[in-house]
Amino acid sequence: MRLLFDRGTIVLHDLPNSLDPGAIPGVLWDPRVAAWRAPGRLAYPLASELRRRDVRLSDRPQPQLAPPTGFQPVALRPYQQAAYDAWHGAGRRGIVVMPTGSGKTRVAFAALAATRTPALCLVPTRALLQQWVAELGKFYRGPIGCFGDGERSLAPITVATFASAHRNMPLLGDRFGLLIVDEAHHFGNARHDEALDMAIAPLRLGLTATPPPPGPVLSRIGALIGPIRFELKVSDLQEDALAPFDRITQPLWLDPEERRSYDDLRTLYRGAFSAFRITHPTARWEDFVRIAANTDDGRRAIAAWRACQRLLAFPRCKQLALATWLHRLSDRKTLIFVADNDTAYRVAREHLLMPLTCEIGRNERRLMLDHFQSGAIKALVSAQVLNEGIDVPDADVGIVVAGSRGEREHTQRVGRLLRPSRGKRALVVELVVQQTTEVQSADKRWRRLVA
Amino acid sequence: MLPEADIPVRLVDDEAHLDFLGAQDDPWLRGLIAEFERHEGRSRRQLSEALAGPLPGPAPQWKRRAAARVLFRLWYRERPQAVSPPLLREVLFRCAAQSKADRIRVREETAFVLQIPPEQLSRWLFCDLPSERLMQKPSQPIAPHSLRQHTNLAIAQATLMRATSVKVALTGNARAIVRLARLRGLLCSVTTAPDAHAASLSLSGPYALFRHTILYGKALAELLPHLAWCNNFELQAECRLHGRVRQVFLDQNAPIAPAKEPRPFDSKLEQRLAEDLQKHALDWHVIREPEPIAAGKHLLFPDFLLQHRLHPRRRVLVELAGFWTPEYLGQKFARLAEANAANLIVCVDAERACGVKAEHGSLHILPYRRHVDVNALMARIEQLC
Repeated sequence: MRLLFDRGTIVLHDLPNSLDPGAIPGVLWDPRVAAWRAPGRLAYPLASELRRRDVRLSDRPQPQLAPPTGFQPVALRPYQQAAYDAWHGAGRRGIVVMPTGSGKTRVAFAALAATRTPALCLVPTRALLQQWVAELGKFYRGPIGCFGDGERSLAPITVATFASAHRNMPLLGDRFGLLIVDEAHHFGNARHDEALDMAIAPLRLGLTATPPPPGPVLSRIGALIGPIRFELKVSDLQEDALAPFDRITQPLWLDPEERRSYDDLRTLYRGAFSAFRITHPTARWEDFVRIAANTDDGRRAIAAWRACQRLLAFPRCKQLALATWLHRLSDRKTLIFVADNDTAYRVAREHLLMPLTCEIGRNERRLMLDHFQSGAIKALVSAQVLNEGIDVPDADVGIVVAGSRGEREHTQRVGRLLRPSRGKRALVVELVVQQTTEVQSADKRWRRLVA
Repeated sequence: MLPEADIPVRLVDDEAHLDFLGAQDDPWLRGLIAEFERHEGRSRRQLSEALAGPLPGPAPQWKRRAAARVLFRLWYRERPQAVSPPLLREVLFRCAAQSKADRIRVREETAFVLQIPPEQLSRWLFCDLPSERLMQKPSQPIAPHSLRQHTNLAIAQATLMRATSVKVALTGNARAIVRLARLRGLLCSVTTAPDAHAASLSLSGPYALFRHTILYGKALAELLPHLAWCNNFELQAECRLHGRVRQVFLDQNAPIAPAKEPRPFDSKLEQRLAEDLQKHALDWHVIREPEPIAAGKHLLFPDFLLQHRLHPRRRVLVELAGFWTPEYLGQKFARLAEANAANLIVCVDAERACGVKAEHGSLHILPYRRHVDVNALMARIEQLC
């Protein structure tokens, strides 16, 4: 009998008469080609199951690429070693949860060096793609493949963005034996899950600082990558592995004109939303947007909500406060976090600070991060690019002007500032407009961070 | 591609009906085009903000959003000739970080260093970034009816982007559709329809067996404008829309912009053979892409039909087998044998022929190297009938 990889799936050929493939979980009859088929993820479990049933396999999918060679030794801190050991001891499948800045990537490099099997590293953004390639280059002398950000090259160690992996997994799925999934909390909600389902790799390592709470999403991630094998919190590490930090929450007030405008918009929005919740008590926000868009009142309510968000993103009080903080902290390396790209460009124009947004090309981004590291520029303003993974080693001040993505975003943002260095004490400044929704959000995200 | 929320669609139970734009939409399309023209030279973001407000005259919300997205795609983005924006940013922000001077002075110094007018500095600073690009009218003005067609295609394609599988019944140009589908990695089974001239195509991807995946949506959507070159088509798609799988129906009356005319030849080999036959087979009509022939439940697509000018009953089909795996050729020969096509000559690349003989059951095989020898082919045709 043969198992053949076919564009993200496994096709069963030359079946013995005694075998009923339909009884094996995950295997389905495909009438389009008159054959039994299984998702690529089941390649190894299926082979084991067939062996258990005394079926001899003459051919089965195995990683097509040559094993990588040329790794430098990877030195791990004790907690990183513990994380690696936990993953290794659990059959080399599962998720490692560690705070941002604590060196999750090094655990991944240790896994790459130890397994010595062709590996595909998945990262959420183009910015992280470049960072992973650069970091890998310090530990590994062999060629590094790259899928995403306009590149398409394959090598025993390849880095791909989630989106690119999703598109190309029908071709890549049988090339690798190890999958490393950075920021693994992005999976489990069906958006890119298929990329993991179509890969044959039996070894899987997920990395995250912010795992989803127990529930269907975490269960799905568990099926695709493996369960959580190791977990550390900020409070476990702060003393020795993360820089200590101070937090300042600056309360601000809208000026009378903005306050009137905010209250009017909020009333308009809340009226429509409250009425909607009465008729649709279990509906989601997306449902509200979809249904509201069909009526003039609904559209006005959505427009009012958007206008509220825009107003809170950078009102006059925040503009003044930001100017004051930038003046006061002009000698420190500062990251400014805003809610959206428009605000990032506004801040950039007003204060002549470099914006790092998803629209800035990789070469320019790298150049600006180099300038930031060398001190040629002192501050960067970003909406989301710096939220996840991007390594900004020397930043020690973060000014949170506004956020749009809740507690997880905040944890990741603060993590940018906590990479340790001698004598470093980070400062996180939050600008919070009083008597608005920001107060509750700010409170919630700090509770989550210290939890 | 339009996001799901922007597809103008009416949901009725398990069916989704696309709201295409019609001639009645031309007045507000004209207003939309005028709004774009008013914003020529301003940033895309400014235009987006303006479009969030009402247009003069009523315009259906979702159709308007779809048309605006298409118009954004059709418009150019101005790039400054005098300076590269990334260079401008680097010089300006480094200068600002190192200078104690006020911001106005820093801007002036930067403009002086880069030899650009100071009043243009702020305008050009981010004008290479997608949301800040400066809008520029296309050289050919866009008419409302043209925008309507493009928008309708975008609506239909955005819907098919969410398709998990597609079935198409069509007449004419089936071959091109099959070829395109396979090139895009789709599983395509072709069956004969009750009407002898029609073919029924079932299109999906291998992984679609396990989930209602939209992984193949892009490939399926790309086929749509090519269907406009078929004589008739009826498309039935299963699309994941608003949280459910729904049926979508389209046919040749869908007011979509067609793709560019299909390429007349699959390969240079085929093109050269066509040219050689035109020169050397003077007594024969050379017909490209004749009607498909039935092989059991499947259809086969010969490349040429040669019909004698004086004796029309003398007909020979010619098929170029360009693909080369042994399994593929074996399957192809089996299907051709099943078709019982006695007057069919299959030309096979001798270097990739995998040991096939000149006669394979009832089939006539003509090996070739690099290109088909038209004299050898004509000799075989004369032998055959």
